[in-house]
Amino acid sequence: MSVNNLLENWAQFRHFHPVDDKPHDPYKWAMSIDLDACTGCNACSVACYAENNLPVVGKEKYQHGHVMHWIRIERYWDESLGVAGGGDFPEQGAQFLPMMCQQCEAAPCETVCPAAATNHTADGLNSQIYNRCVGSRYCSANCPFKVRYFNWYDYPTTDNVWPAEMNQQLNPDVTVRSKGVMEKCTFCVQRLHAAKGTAKNEGRLVHDGDVQTACQQACPTSAITFGNLVDPESKVHKQWQSQQVELDKDAQVKDQKEGGSGLRGYRIFEELRPYPSVMYLERVRESAV
Amino acid sequence: MIDSGLDRRDFLKVLGWGGAAAALSGCGNTSIEDGKETVVSYVEAADYAIPGIGVYYNSTCAQCDAGCSINGRVREGRVLKLEGNPASAINRGKTCGLGQAGVQHHYNPDRVREPMLRKGDKFETITWDKAYALIAEKLNGAKGEEVAFLSGGVSGHLKVLLGNYLASIGCKNHYVYEALAPAVARAANKKAYGIEMPRFNINKAKVVLSFGADFLGSWVSPVHFSQQYAQFRKGVDGQRGVLIQVESKMTLTGANADRWVPVRPGTEGILALGIINELGMASGDIAAAVKGYDRIRVSKETGVPPGQIDKIAALLKLRSPSLVLAGSAAEGYAHGSQNAAAINLLNHVLGNVGKTIEASSSVTFTQMAPAKGNTAALKSLNDGLAAGKYKVLFSYAANPVFTAPGALKFKDNLAKADFKVSFAHYLDETALQADLVLPLDSALEDWNTQVPEYMAEGAQINIQQPLMEKLHANTRGMGDILLALVKQRRAEEYKSFDDYYAYLRAAMLQNKGALGGGGADDDTFWNDTLTKGIVKLAGSSGALSGKASVVGLTLPAPSAADAQYPLHLIPGVTASLRDGRHANQPWLQESPDPLTTIVWDSWVEIHPKKAAELGIKEGDILEVTSRSGSIKAQAYLFPGIHPDAISVPLGRGHDALGRYAKGYGANPFQILDAVFDQETGELAMHETRVKVSKTGQCVIVVKDEGSAGGKQMGRKIAVSMSTDEVDLSKEV
Repeated sequence: MSVNNLLENWAQFRHFHPVDDKPHDPYKWAMSIDLDACTGCNACSVACYAENNLPVVGKEKYQHGHVMHWIRIERYWDESLGVAGGGDFPEQGAQFLPMMCQQCEAAPCETVCPAAATNHTADGLNSQIYNRCVGSRYCSANCPFKVRYFNWYDYPTTDNVWPAEMNQQLNPDVTVRSKGVMEKCTFCVQRLHAAKGTAKNEGRLVHDGDVQTACQQACPTSAITFGNLVDPESKVHKQWQSQQVELDKDAQVKDQKEGGSGLRGYRIFEELRPYPSVMYLERVRESAV
Repeated sequence: MIDSGLDRRDFLKVLGWGGAAAALSGCGNTSIEDGKETVVSYVEAADYAIPGIGVYYNSTCAQCDAGCSINGRVREGRVLKLEGNPASAINRGKTCGLGQAGVQHHYNPDRVREPMLRKGDKFETITWDKAYALIAEKLNGAKGEEVAFLSGGVSGHLKVLLGNYLASIGCKNHYVYEALAPAVARAANKKAYGIEMPRFNINKAKVVLSFGADFLGSWVSPVHFSQQYAQFRKGVDGQRGVLIQVESKMTLTGANADRWVPVRPGTEGILALGIINELGMASGDIAAAVKGYDRIRVSKETGVPPGQIDKIAALLKLRSPSLVLAGSAAEGYAHGSQNAAAINLLNHVLGNVGKTIEASSSVTFTQMAPAKGNTAALKSLNDGLAAGKYKVLFSYAANPVFTAPGALKFKDNLAKADFKVSFAHYLDETALQADLVLPLDSALEDWNTQVPEYMAEGAQINIQQPLMEKLHANTRGMGDILLALVKQRRAEEYKSFDDYYAYLRAAMLQNKGALGGGGADDDTFWNDTLTKGIVKLAGSSGALSGKASVVGLTLPAPSAADAQYPLHLIPGVTASLRDGRHANQPWLQESPDPLTTIVWDSWVEIHPKKAAELGIKEGDILEVTSRSGSIKAQAYLFPGIHPDAISVPLGRGHDALGRYAKGYGANPFQILDAVFDQETGELAMHETRVKVSKTGQCVIVVKDEGSAGGKQMGRKIAVSMSTDEVDLSKEV
């Protein structure tokens, strides 16, 4: 395959899921996040530290950009704030956005991994194989969402990360990562495995509500919905459907209708065609005040 | 019971059901023998040890007073994670970040592990027997009035036992101090509605107008209010609730408002009266009282444009019911009670009382009702200490050396007490001043009952139970310590209780009829109670009785400019660090402040315009000086603050409390002036005036925010639309 051929027929070679012969069946994990409900309180992020053995890196390493928060709250101000013609005060509040791995169906991180350490699972997760990772960090460089975190240090042996007693809190279901590997949000894959195992023992599929991610479970406003996108009974399926957001499209009804569609669902950087598995619902602000 | 020579009334007092005899079940089944049984160790290791399988136990979160029920995941005998208990009406399965970090309180490497006695500048380890003997000895040398007990908010059987202990030593000086308690709100609510803590139905309101009540972050019961807020946003019949937040410094709640209204500090009450005037719905006294507050005057005094006042009034008129909240930012002034009264008046005028503000249920057992903390208690303790009144001082769950305003010189006055006993989890600033430090079990190792101040639905008693074996052999539960101490004086009455667990079990069983266990045998009832972690009660629902009244309502003119100290200092209360008692939980230190995204340090919020005027840029180390002292912290240019004010967050700036807290940031409590609310005597936290100066040093601010400073640069990451573009009623 020449480079020319690759470039000219990119759409053909670009691999994304579900492919026609292997549709997502019976699971496709997906999420929707209501930004009108999200208050930016950070409970999700702390819950993720607790569930997924995330190291606390401390002030100095944080300054160097080594923080490991798999889910972070991004805080934005209105574009017009503080510029000429705009206001001096954020009169519509701030805008918060929980950002974690979007579990892209055509993940930009996957194609650049020289060791195939990050790949796609049959149930639609972008997985990271720690013991295959060689630490090239290409994946992180290629991630448009910047949600991959690299272990610059061996945190289990670093002072005051998990000193005696603190280490007893570590979740035995989740690997403690060592120096030199990349890590990121897994949609709490350990919980998914447990739920699938239980369902299998009972001879059924995982029902909606059987499994929650740690961030979803903590969220005080229930802004996060998680579930199986191919289960017509799941809330996440119904939300995606009512917002007319389709997993394998790079433009949605919302963007195409002239004069607004009344829909709130969108995916971040859809135009880059990573086909994310996370749909956000736009924040709403009252027009009358 | 008869053998011990106790009569029934005394016995009720011992077990905490005093003051509520009517609610007690018949006396036939009060069985003292239960307390005599051999108590099996309550953390059966075998129970936990199912390799690879997590088991879940219900308990109660102790990170703040809201009383959220938690569900702890335990594997191989270790507690790993806390989730919310869906059966609780307060948090319905949800938790906040502060609650999640509860495991780091338990596993904290800097916990105190042994009883310690001061020897000169150092502590040396002693045994519990010696510690108890020493307390007895010191108490024998002091009269009841020479003893004081300082505690944070306490409730349930711990409060009962504490009360009984204090009675046994003849001490009437129980000071309940919480640095950030909504004490002015309680007094103002009592006046306006007849109840200190009514139920606020945010979910039933179409408009919420909040004057500095950070109900999503740190006010009263944030997890509960967050759920109500989510319903409020979905709206009634698809009409989304509108949130307007009036405050001088943006809180988390302000950051979620449809309209955030920056107001000149201290003029919140004037704006409230201006809105009443603009509404034109009041009559009689009220109309007369607000007549002078026309929109032009109000606008001039508050800095809120007249058009904004019009819009707020119009919206409130159009959409009913609404809900108006008065929070700590409006109440933190010498005229704080007046501000709150003016704001609460709005609810009466708008007809919200009885609709979005309802009578709350309370537990009928008054002995167990929460002892509510305030700062007036701190002041009177401080006065007593300064006068040398106390020979023995106990302190529990409060850290006044860190949280008392600098102007009170609390640390110096504390030294005047001869013998100070601190019941402590960590060596915090107050414990370091103690003569005797007694190590406590963590909240995940201890037994207790807890009664929340804010009841969501009906009344409830929460059960706190150990989620695992004790980590350290020589720590004790606070209940066990109090039981041992009360036995020094009243051995006979308490002899049947080997430990606090036996006491608690006997107490609950004695009254099981009233606790919903009528008919069940003791073991069934007890196991059921522990399994659920919550005892739901019918409770008594008081009626709202307050009337709209303007009697005594006088608002001072906006404060004049202070040439020497030109800026208002607003102590920032963050959802995760609050008054700083949890600053040693690293998840909270590394959890970015939602608004500034700063971690591991303190900062000075200053409006960009003010900063430009003073030549200040981000990262400049500023010296913030008040009449009472000065602190240094990095500057952060923050648009969500009134230009006449700066804000420094509370909670950091420890010089003790362990490796994750010590040496990070600055403590603004230190520079607070001793100004008090004229009506309640509560500390007026927002009255301190300061000046800022550059020190010449500059640092890189460690934060999550990128170099674009919170702008999306047109990338449409977080997107927003207006209500007229969407119909929420059609959504899933």
